[in-house]
Formats: sequence, C-alpha cells, structure tokens
Amino acid sequence: MAQPSKRTLLKGVAATVGAAAFAPHLLAAQPPVRIGYSMSRTGPWTGGAQVSQEPNYLLWAEQQNALGGLDVKGVRRPIELVSSDDRSDTETVVRTYEKLMGSDKVDLVLPPWGSNANFAVAPLANRFGYPFLAPTALSKRLVEMKLPYFFLLLQQPKPMCDALVDMLKANGAKTIAVIYVDDLFGLENYAALRVALQGSGITMVEDKSYPAGVKDLSPVLRSMKDKNPDVFVGFTYPPDTILASKQAKEVGFNPRFFYASVGTAFQLYRNVMTPAGAEGVLGMGSWNGKTSPGAKAYFDAHTRKFGGKEPDRWASGACWAGLEILTAGVAKVGLDRKALRDYIATTRHKTIIGDIQFTGSENTATPGTVGQWQNGEFEVVWPSKVATAKLNPSKPAWK
Amino acid sequence: MSISAWLELIASGLITGGIYALVALGLNLQYGLMRILNIAHGEFLMVGAYLTWLFQTSYGLSPLLMVPVSFVVLLVLGVAVHFLCFRRLTATSPNLDVFEARGLMVAFGLMFLVQNFASWMWGGELRGYDYMTEPVKLGEAQFAANKLLVFFLALVFSGALIVLLRMTLLGKGVRALMQSPIGAQLMGIDTRRLHPLMFGIGLGLSGIAGALLSMAYTITPFMGQPYTVTALIVITLGGFGSMGGALIGGLFLGVIEALGMHFSNPSLKALLSYAIFIAVLLLRPEGLFTRKGRKA
Repeated sequence: MAQPSKRTLLKGVAATVGAAAFAPHLLAAQPPVRIGYSMSRTGPWTGGAQVSQEPNYLLWAEQQNALGGLDVKGVRRPIELVSSDDRSDTETVVRTYEKLMGSDKVDLVLPPWGSNANFAVAPLANRFGYPFLAPTALSKRLVEMKLPYFFLLLQQPKPMCDALVDMLKANGAKTIAVIYVDDLFGLENYAALRVALQGSGITMVEDKSYPAGVKDLSPVLRSMKDKNPDVFVGFTYPPDTILASKQAKEVGFNPRFFYASVGTAFQLYRNVMTPAGAEGVLGMGSWNGKTSPGAKAYFDAHTRKFGGKEPDRWASGACWAGLEILTAGVAKVGLDRKALRDYIATTRHKTIIGDIQFTGSENTATPGTVGQWQNGEFEVVWPSKVATAKLNPSKPAWK
Repeated sequence: MSISAWLELIASGLITGGIYALVALGLNLQYGLMRILNIAHGEFLMVGAYLTWLFQTSYGLSPLLMVPVSFVVLLVLGVAVHFLCFRRLTATSPNLDVFEARGLMVAFGLMFLVQNFASWMWGGELRGYDYMTEPVKLGEAQFAANKLLVFFLALVFSGALIVLLRMTLLGKGVRALMQSPIGAQLMGIDTRRLHPLMFGIGLGLSGIAGALLSMAYTITPFMGQPYTVTALIVITLGGFGSMGGALIGGLFLGVIEALGMHFSNPSLKALLSYAIFIAVLLLRPEGLFTRKGRKA
C-alpha cells in the first residue's frame, strides 16, 4: 500500500481541524424554536406579571439554551423568545397573540398574565391550535368553556375555597368577614366561598366589595373589627393585600385567621410587613423550597439569576411546572402542536409542585391549599398531605 | 354607631383628605397661576415616592429626611421642565386659551415620558418599605403613626404655602399674577422668574406628597394618575386657584369618601367622588369654598 501523500495528509488534518472548529457552529445553526408571548411590563398588571410570570420565562429560556437549546425530539434547538409589552391592556394582548399565531406563526406560545387576559386569549388558542399552559388564570368559567387547547395550572376557586373552609372548620372558626375585589377574580372566589360555607356552621357577618386600585380600606376594616369575626378573608390583588394588612394593623383588627389572596405569597409582602409583622398571616400559596428537591433547585436558580428576587410561593411554582410540562412534551412529541396538546391532556406530569393532571382544562391533581407566614417563610399549612409546616391556628398580634 | 366610632371614621377621612389636599395644592398652584393643567402632576409625585424608596432601601436614609430632598429635587426638575417646555409655549401661543390647550398636550406627553422612565429605571413591580407602622392610640381610636405624620406634615406644608402666598411680597406678586397677568406685568412683576419658580414649587409639593405617600402605601410607576384625578376633583371643589379652598376641599372629600365607604360599599367610592365633582361643576362651578370673584 502506498504511503498517503503529503497532500492527502494535509487534507485530512484540515478536515479534522475544520470539523472541530465548525461543529459547534453547525450545531447552533439549528433553526431556533420561536416562542412568543405578551407580558405586562407597564400598567397595573405589572406587579403580578413581573413576579410570578416573566422572570420564569427568561430563566427557563436561559437554562435551556445553556444546555444547547430546547430538546425537540432529541435535537437541541436554541430558544428565541419573541415578546412584547401589552401595557396591561386586554385589547393589546388579543392583538399580540393574533399576530404571533396568525401572521408570525411562531412555533409555540406562552400565556399572558392574569385571569382577564387569559380569558380573552383562550378562544384564540383554540382557533389557532396552540396549547396554552396558563399559570395565572383563576376562573371557573374558563374551565366551563371546555377549550381543548387551554390548560389552567393553578388550583381554581372551588378547591382553594374548599381547602380554606375545611381548615377553618377543623379549627373551630364560627364567624367570617369578607372583602373582595369587584372583578372576575374576586367575584368567582367570593361565590366559591359562599358555596363552601354552606352547611359548614361558619356564619358570614360582613361582606363588601371594593374596586381595584382602592387607596383606603380602613372604614370597612373598622366596621369589621366592631363585629369581631374569627376570620377575615380578602380576595385581593397585591397592592390591596398589603393595604388591607397594613390598615388592619393600623386599626387593631387582628382576627384569629387573617387570610388575603394574590401577593401574600410574594417576597414583597415580607419586605413591607417585616417577617415579624407577617407572622401568622394566611394566604393563597401552594409550594416553597421544601416542597421538593426540584422546587429548591428552581428557587435557588431564580434567586441567583434575579439578584436575590425570590419567586412567589403560589403562581411562580405553577408557572415553572407549566414550563417543565412543555419541555417534556416537546422532547417527546416535538413541535407538532396537536400531538403536544394530546400529550399535555392525557399525561400525568411530574413537576416541582407535585403531580399535575388535567381533567378538561382544569388541573385536578394539585389539591386546594392554604399558606401561612411563619418565621419569614411562606409555608403550606393545609391540607396536611402537602403541608411544609404545621398551621398556627391563632394569629399573633400585628407587629 | 357610638360617638367614638363616628369620630374615628371622620378622623380617618381627614387623614386621607390631608394627602388629597397636599397633592391638590401643587396642581392648583400650576393651574391657578399659570393655567398649566399639569396632567403629569401625579407622575412627579411618583418620582418623589421612588426617590424616597430608593434612598430608604439602598442607603437606609430616613424617609423623613427625604421629604426636603424630594422637594428640592422636584423643584429643580420643575424649573427645568418649565424652561424646556412651557417657556417656549408661553412665547409662541397667541392667547391664554391656546396656551392652556397646548400646555395640556405637553403635560400628557410628560405623563407618558415620566411614567415610562420610572418603569425603565426601576421596573414595573410594586415596591414598598416598612416605616412607622405602629398604631398610635388617640382616645378610643387608633391610627398608624406614619398616617398621623403624613397628615400633620400635609397640614404644615399646606399652611406654609398659604402663609407664603398671603403674607409675603412674593406671594403678593403671585396673587397679582393670578388676578391679572397683564396688570401684574405692568406693575413690574417679573413673570419670567416667577412662573418657573412657582411651577417648580408646585412640583416640589408633589415630591413631598410622594415622599409622604411612600411611607404608607406601596408604590409603582403607575400610581400617579389616580392622584391627579383626585387632585382635579379637589381643586374643583375648592375653587381653581384658591389654596385655602384646596385644603378644605381635600379634607372634605376625604371625609365624604370615608363615610360613603362605611355606609355603602368601597366599590361605590368612585361613583361618589364623581357625583360630587359633577354636582359642583353644575351648581357651583367657581368652587364650594370661594366667594364669587375672589381667589387665593
């Protein structure tokens, strides 16, 4: 056999060096997976959206891209997020998603923030055939619309209120006073609570609605204080959750159970009320770093990436779980959206907040939960099977 | 309802009203004196609130210390804004009505500019801190210490402004300008110096209001607008250009809202405020607390 000529040798070396040098580029040259969403970066929804939702999308895309991209049936493709500000305006949300799905034809979409915006885009998801895994939508009516492409990750008003009333009953509460924001979220939760209270032996002594953006709740809280109920429940948004808490402290209204809704599970709540001031406050929360090793890893990664900003102990976990489901689904069935929908609808998913399974649009595997601030951490305290700490059934005085 | 419950309710209304009054005074100064309907007034209040929050959380500076700092920063900003926008408008507008309409447009622009600047700078999230939230007992009733402080300071600053306008030569000049701009100019009052200064003081007051509000409420870049609307209602109640009227109007609105919320529902608060607003505009457009033909 003839010796390889100098030229052949050179060719071989050049090819090897070339391949080594260009192989990563060839890998990266896989077309990106384009994922679109609209998010509230300005306007009244921003407070919730920038805590519970968008940070997760950014963290997820960064983590996946660090692994070489999103696993699409075994092929890693970089994630390209296509996003815009919806200015907390439903009309803009709808137009953005129509563009993303109708003319831009992105590969996948991620949902917008809040019950109202999701309510508006849910029918579009169906029309264009894009699966939506919504982490911040709470509405019985969304479930009743039976939209095959729309999935709600968060526990809905009924299981949440049932869990709350179960807990109150088990701890001997007899009277309750309620305030609720007069929009879809507040009204549906209030209705679910009324149903849950039937036959529970707990009497409603006062109920008042208030408009979003309220600046003073003290007249209402003072009259509630006069009626001395065992329980205060507020179906509130973050600014009102903090307002109600601060003003309850101000007027000296300190019932045994003080429950508020969106925002109670935020780091902001602890910052504003101080850990001692938040002690014993109940609220909507379903996980924390103790829930699972995955939850701990997620919590730490989130806090690291956003300079100490913690995810909230309710919807952030559901949002991350939704991204986990999406990742697993795309790895298994690729970007065929019909197949992806079927995968989401029929699989029992393992996530950081526990198993998730959908019955129609609703996540029926995650039970309704109640959270409570204890020593600077928002613990899950009800039901006991998912609890991370024991309930303190008597809130200490406000500090 | 017992007498103490009544007093408590009225006192809580007065506290909220004190804040309304302070916000309204700044706007009233700008509108009453210069016919600049500064729709962005609430946005500058928000800047004052953010400055206070920023220095409190980053450097541990007392929010109380930030009250004068916010005033000075916003005053300087106000003079600059006047120099950049309204001075030119004054020179190019053929008459006061055209100036008012153009000024309104400019103020709208400023509103978006300032709001988006804050959003870009600090993000859209809710912010807040804990400061003097311990309840203080006053007889049977109790109130948060920070609210009492806010109320007290709101009264002090409102009073100071009224004294400034009534007792000093500067105030006399300003009131003369409100009554008759041309007459005042003919008497040698320097509008070119007085206008920017008063616009600046108006913004400075909004800075104070923002600093005070951040002690009691959570803040966002979008917090300003409702305060502008409330301020408009208050100055309509009190009479355009009337400082005493704005003070009484603010307190009055606060009490009415507190009583309304107690006896009906907080959801009806906006309805109540606007009903009063419309009724005053229809029945007594010069304001509830001014004698006809007399201002400030």
